[in-house]
Amino acid sequence: MTVNNQGGSEPFILFELAGTTYGVRSRFVQQVEMVEHVTPVPNASAAVEGVVFARGQVVPALSLRARFGFEKMPFDLRTRLVVVNTGARVVGLLVDTAREFVRISAESIEPPPDTITGLSGKYLEGIASLAGGRLVLILNLDEVLDLEGMQASDDATGETSGT
Amino acid sequence: MASLRPLGAVAFSEAGSGLEAIERLALGAVELIILDLNMPDMHGVEVLEFVRGHHAYRELPVVVLTTRGDEASRAEALAAGATRYLTKPFAPQNLHECVRELLDAA
Amino acid sequence: MPTSNPDNEEGEFFGQFLNEYYAECDEHLTLVRRNLLALEAQVGRPQVDHALLDELFRSFHTLKGISAMVGLSAAEQLAHHLESYLRALRQQEAALDTRGLETLLTATSLLEQVIGARRDEKPSPDIGVVVEQLEALTLSGSPEPAPESSRADAPPHAAPANGAAAKRTWRVEFTPTPALAERGVNVNSVRARLQGLGEIVRATPQVRKQGEIAFLFVVATDAAESAFGGWEADGLTVAPFEEEAPAAVATAAPAPAVTLGAANVVRVDLARLDELMRMVGELVVSRARLEDQLKGLKRGGVPAATWRPLQETSHTIGRQLRDLRDGVMRVRMVQIGETFERMQFVVRDLTREGGKRVTLKTEGRETEIDKFLVERMTDPLMHLVRNAVTHGLETPAEREARGKFAEGRIKLCAATRGERVFVEVEDDGRGIDRARVAARAAARGLVEPGASLSDAALLDVLCAPGFSTRDEADRGSGRGVGMDVVRNTVEELGGSLLLETKRGRGTRFVVELPLTLALTEALIVGAGGQRFAVPQSAVREVFEAEPGAVKRFENNEVVAHRGGALPLVRLARLFNLEGEGQGAARVFVLGGGGGAGALGVVVDRVIGQREIVVRRIADPLARAAGVAGATELGDGRVVLILDVAALRQLAAGRL
Repeated sequence: MTVNNQGGSEPFILFELAGTTYGVRSRFVQQVEMVEHVTPVPNASAAVEGVVFARGQVVPALSLRARFGFEKMPFDLRTRLVVVNTGARVVGLLVDTAREFVRISAESIEPPPDTITGLSGKYLEGIASLAGGRLVLILNLDEVLDLEGMQASDDATGETSGT
Repeated sequence: MASLRPLGAVAFSEAGSGLEAIERLALGAVELIILDLNMPDMHGVEVLEFVRGHHAYRELPVVVLTTRGDEASRAEALAAGATRYLTKPFAPQNLHECVRELLDAA
Repeated sequence: MPTSNPDNEEGEFFGQFLNEYYAECDEHLTLVRRNLLALEAQVGRPQVDHALLDELFRSFHTLKGISAMVGLSAAEQLAHHLESYLRALRQQEAALDTRGLETLLTATSLLEQVIGARRDEKPSPDIGVVVEQLEALTLSGSPEPAPESSRADAPPHAAPANGAAAKRTWRVEFTPTPALAERGVNVNSVRARLQGLGEIVRATPQVRKQGEIAFLFVVATDAAESAFGGWEADGLTVAPFEEEAPAAVATAAPAPAVTLGAANVVRVDLARLDELMRMVGELVVSRARLEDQLKGLKRGGVPAATWRPLQETSHTIGRQLRDLRDGVMRVRMVQIGETFERMQFVVRDLTREGGKRVTLKTEGRETEIDKFLVERMTDPLMHLVRNAVTHGLETPAEREARGKFAEGRIKLCAATRGERVFVEVEDDGRGIDRARVAARAAARGLVEPGASLSDAALLDVLCAPGFSTRDEADRGSGRGVGMDVVRNTVEELGGSLLLETKRGRGTRFVVELPLTLALTEALIVGAGGQRFAVPQSAVREVFEAEPGAVKRFENNEVVAHRGGALPLVRLARLFNLEGEGQGAARVFVLGGGGGAGALGVVVDRVIGQREIVVRRIADPLARAAGVAGATELGDGRVVLILDVAALRQLAAGRL
């Protein structure tokens, strides 16, 4: 899915996770919020930290650290909840921090190299190189939010929050 | 029709529409009907209902051919008095066996 | 309407337009169904209630117009032919007989299907056969063919211009014989001959008294009578088609008003009402906060003269909020009668094909229930009614053999008790065969072999996913949703399902639902450092158990209570929460009116009772067993609402 606007570029929200910069298309982002309190949901998937209200809706807060196989971190002042709305679903993504908003042109996004395999490769739509040689990993939201994949990884690690 | 040839001493009469099929009943002895539910003029179930409504044909074996996925018509046909049903596409062998069995039983 | 290149905005507009169309169709079809049922009582009478026919005519006329507007031509055509037939009935050009009514019913169902298919973006069912039937009916009493002029939106002309249309309708009968067949005269050649003359309106096989098979054709043609000359030799008899109703009867009927009389009704999107209710809910929460702050003032030693007026104002706001809430709720309420009418159709259809005889009695049609709940409950109720007819009731012969009326009875009733609505589906049929269900359940490992099933256990088995007492052939008809879906839907809506059945006497399903979804009284409890809300309606009592009173054996805990042993589960443990409280256990008791089936849930604290706004948890990631929804208590934090039914199941898995 590409949107044709001037210059063939599209706005992205950038966020940090375990020292790496990721990007998500801004048109899928409903809001970015500071994280105060997340209510745990009993017996939910390991990557689901809990639920929060976002514009009056009850929305799951998904720990992207857990989802990508990094160690979870306690929330701090920098922690952000990026609420994405794919049309079909509204989900909050917990990230280390999120502060940037950039336009990225379609040409500068390349498919993820074959060398990135396994977990992280699957969740990526591509890699963009910005001016100054900075790399941004573009999220494939469908894969990130995929329920079956999440259950599979729960089964693999044998870990469901609170079991 | 071709798939019934190996049955031997059986006479076939092929009707292209529901009214035609019913006319065959009027014109000569029919021992068994193979009825496709999809016909140009009448629905197969209507033909079946007509056949069953006629006292002379209450016991006449009627094999109904239905289309895969059309379970509703199949149930309707069975309720209307179909003796057997076969779902298209079927192996010719299945139709033989079905027809032979019904003719032997009659 | 989008013609070419529908950009987004236009597409959205059209989508909204379509939604309005569906809503309007729904209204008219509901009215039509009601009127058709009323019409049924008048079949065979020489004079049918004119007001009824007028109203039906208007409904179909409107349906025709709005279907044309959205370009749904199959619906437009069907509605047109329905309208034409009704016009003929009104002008007494055709008489209403059983066949006519059946056709009206079939055509109405088909119209509903055509519209539904468009909404679900599925291929439209074929309307050809039904249109033909309607045409034949319209023609049957009329010397005039269906007036094509009626396509214009003008009201029907009372007296057709005589002589302008030269078409006449003929009845042609053909009796096939082997001799005729030899000469090439058969049903196909006859049909071809008639098609050459004009339009075949109807072609049906017939059985004569002697068992002879013949074919009846009804043909509309402008050919002269001489065109049929010499046809007798080919086994054909030709006669004018029932011309006994001359045009003289066509008294100038008043032109029906095309607009619906319901100008004072505003149709509102349910989502907007939800939004309104959500705002009311937020006001309720704000007032609760105000009340808390007032309590703080009181405790802080502020003089009564200062806080008392504030307190009074707060109380007034509270009362006004309740009124406001009731007002919004009333807007959302619809009478359940509409749904019951649908069921009447279901029963009619089933009896027609199933050889059963059924009377359907309804009670409490005027009972009001939330529109959303009614919509969600329609399919499950339909399933229960279908089950009652197909499985509950015996055949007339069986019934007579048991000394019952040959005609089975099904009763649908609805009533409101407090904040709950009860809808019952009851039959006086054979009752559920417990032994048979138990055997099948045992075979599937659902119960111990040889177990005897109570009503509640029986319902559990019937509602087990995929479990069904239906026969394969029946399943083939592709109907229904299954009992598991029925119970799931009811519970999702915050209700419960109950079963009573007696062998040989009948079966009764009771669906208990909240009046409305948005607001409910809840008990707020704390466990494992987290707060939870428990719907007050599920809680029987709350008490405190001394640590010593709780007895433990193996993994089970019970407490002596009210002269019995109450099984306990700890919420923190059930939910794998940290910090399980020691000390005195606060226990709230769920369910089990008479004591049996009661379950004590142990929590750390009972915080209080509040009115809460129920919010749905939409995303599957956030859903969990034992959680029915979420609410907020004024601090912006999510508080989970416990799903009492699922909690009991979770507990049963543990105990």
